[in-house]
Amino acid sequence: MSLATPPPVDRHQPYEYIGQKAMVVAAHPLAVEAGLKILKAGGNAVDAAVATAGALNAAEPFASGIGGGGFMIIYLAQSRKVTVINFREKAPNKAYPSMFTEKGEEAETWRTTKGLAVGVPGALAGWDLALKRYGTKSLAEVLGPAMAIAADGYPVSETFSSINKEEYEKILANAGENTVYLNHGLPYEPGEHWRNPELAQTLSLIAQKGIGVFYRGELAEKIVRAVQEKGGLMTLEDLANYKAVEVEPLHGQYRGADIFTIPPPGSGLHLLQLLNIAANWPLAQWGRTSALYLHHLTEAMRLVFADRETYLGDPDFVQIPVAKLLSTASAQHKAAMIKPDQILSAYWPENPEGEKDLGNTTHLCVVDEQGNAVALTQSINHFFGSGIIPEGTGFILNNHMDDFAPGDSGPNCPGPGRRPASSMAPLLMFQEGKLSLVLGSPGGTRIFPSLAEIIINIVDFGLSLDEAIEAPRFFSYSQAGKVRPLSLEPRFPAEIIKELESRGHKISLREAYDKYFGGAQGIMTDYKKKLLLGGADSRRDGFGQGY
Amino acid sequence: MKRTIVTLKSLATIIMILSAGAQPKPPQFSPPALITSAGQNAEVQMVAVLAKRAGLDHNLNKLATAEDLSGQRTLILVLGASLKGLGAAGLDISKEMNRVQGLVEAARQKNIPVLCLHLGGEERRGAQSDEFIKAFLPAARMAIVVKSGNKDGLFTRLCQEHSIVLVEVEKTVEALEPLKKAFALS
Repeated sequence: MSLATPPPVDRHQPYEYIGQKAMVVAAHPLAVEAGLKILKAGGNAVDAAVATAGALNAAEPFASGIGGGGFMIIYLAQSRKVTVINFREKAPNKAYPSMFTEKGEEAETWRTTKGLAVGVPGALAGWDLALKRYGTKSLAEVLGPAMAIAADGYPVSETFSSINKEEYEKILANAGENTVYLNHGLPYEPGEHWRNPELAQTLSLIAQKGIGVFYRGELAEKIVRAVQEKGGLMTLEDLANYKAVEVEPLHGQYRGADIFTIPPPGSGLHLLQLLNIAANWPLAQWGRTSALYLHHLTEAMRLVFADRETYLGDPDFVQIPVAKLLSTASAQHKAAMIKPDQILSAYWPENPEGEKDLGNTTHLCVVDEQGNAVALTQSINHFFGSGIIPEGTGFILNNHMDDFAPGDSGPNCPGPGRRPASSMAPLLMFQEGKLSLVLGSPGGTRIFPSLAEIIINIVDFGLSLDEAIEAPRFFSYSQAGKVRPLSLEPRFPAEIIKELESRGHKISLREAYDKYFGGAQGIMTDYKKKLLLGGADSRRDGFGQGY
Repeated sequence: MKRTIVTLKSLATIIMILSAGAQPKPPQFSPPALITSAGQNAEVQMVAVLAKRAGLDHNLNKLATAEDLSGQRTLILVLGASLKGLGAAGLDISKEMNRVQGLVEAARQKNIPVLCLHLGGEERRGAQSDEFIKAFLPAARMAIVVKSGNKDGLFTRLCQEHSIVLVEVEKTVEALEPLKKAFALS
């Protein structure tokens, strides 16, 4: 039974999905259905999250899948435990710091669309680890809905079609005209039916034989062959040695709320930094669409990005001063540096690491009847990843090696077995000790700034969850200490944009609801009304459902 | 003013809608054709695939300049700006405008006819794409356009103003037939 009025015809109009017991929110309705099916069959939030994640491989194949990796943060209500599963891809063992720089002018191509672009996939290992430690169902059970979606197919959405067109050249070059990701050699148009029988078969094989077939069996051989044919370094040993890991979450606070998120190499650290700085300002008094708010948070983003350039890498290989970066003193110092009427002249010059327009990913949230929760962000990096598809498997290999820094030194340079820095930052927020928000987003380097904006929209400006998600976004960063443009959705008032220009910001206007800023998904708990409220981002095909 | 709109309703049917004046004969183009984009969009690759299917002798060159017109008998311009494509090519709008301007001017001097395509639909419109459309569509003798990109009538208006034959198609794959006809390929 539906607990709410149907979603509005205008997909951008804020709309809260409502549930009383449990809820799933994800980037495609079929993936949500998959998660709900598992919940209703007695599965818990971890089971449903993995089912949804698997279903997204079939329903939103251009953004994530078993050829990629990610992070999930899990809340176990009974034990009040919060934990993180890190299933980020790793560099192959033959990776070395100058592997891209030595390609000269072709470095960008090698980082994104050649075999060197592919990191050792972690998704299946992460899903399997989460299920074994905290789930109640087998991988075979939770992959069932994904297999059905891949086998039966569905009508292609405008989002799918536009991304298919935008990435056409890469798909054509690496997967050929006959790939399932093209319709007789051309991109799919909205409404055309898309099926992926090869993926259905691959998932069925994994369901029967376990993840060993992917990491040590026939699928491993196909992956290595595909990567090496395109000039990559991955070996069978790399796949056989891959392990997802369970790690402690990062903890921070924002205006009295406790926030748990993922540690490095994810960007939860920088999300917390940004909120720590914002906590020094009377944002509610300034107003959500005030130039003062946009200016200050933008400048804070630029300062945080300077830290990100300097410190973020794989904590197994580099020292990251997490406590120092999250200290009140650091936040107060940064807040005090920001001038109210003009931009700074420099943002701590550090190693260059450019922001890219392309990073894309997916996020899902689950809350179950016991109050357990999962926020899971996973990706194959750019839309359609590297475009490389192991023969006959139907899944796309990531290009996450592009998340290593462009140079051949520094904390985030490529190296054997290293995980590249990630912008992902799935989070759980608690108020008065109770779970209040499950949230995350795709969107490359815009992820943690977008999440900070959504939290501020809720906490400081009193918006509902989906109002907070749909509200106009803005983003900027610094590169090698230098200011970069301020990207805005043009729904901000024109006079505010003029005021920002007068402070020295170079404005880059994006689309009104631009995928560039991600596609956030969240679930909020309203304990007074005993309701779960879901928010799904209309910048992509976000959808939610509860019961 | 001569005004001609050709609408492709299906792969097999072309409906000519004439509102005024005599119908100009749809122009004929000759191979080989140089295919390039005006705006570094992704659709240029789709046009190359369609050209291959049509059996059209062509050369795809995303960064073509005037010298690349040597030996070519048609210039196919695929209209629409992609920030991603421009970035990948190391170009900005101004450099790309200059490149295409030089190409179109050279085509005019060599009497090489221009055929424009816009296959990106509504999503390949907006200020930057429109800049390319307005700058280079007037140089064309014929335009093949995915209908959703002409919702506001920009292509209709420009084609009317410059006596360009406009063929509208519902989706990318349907551009194959008018492309074949334009080159008299069966």
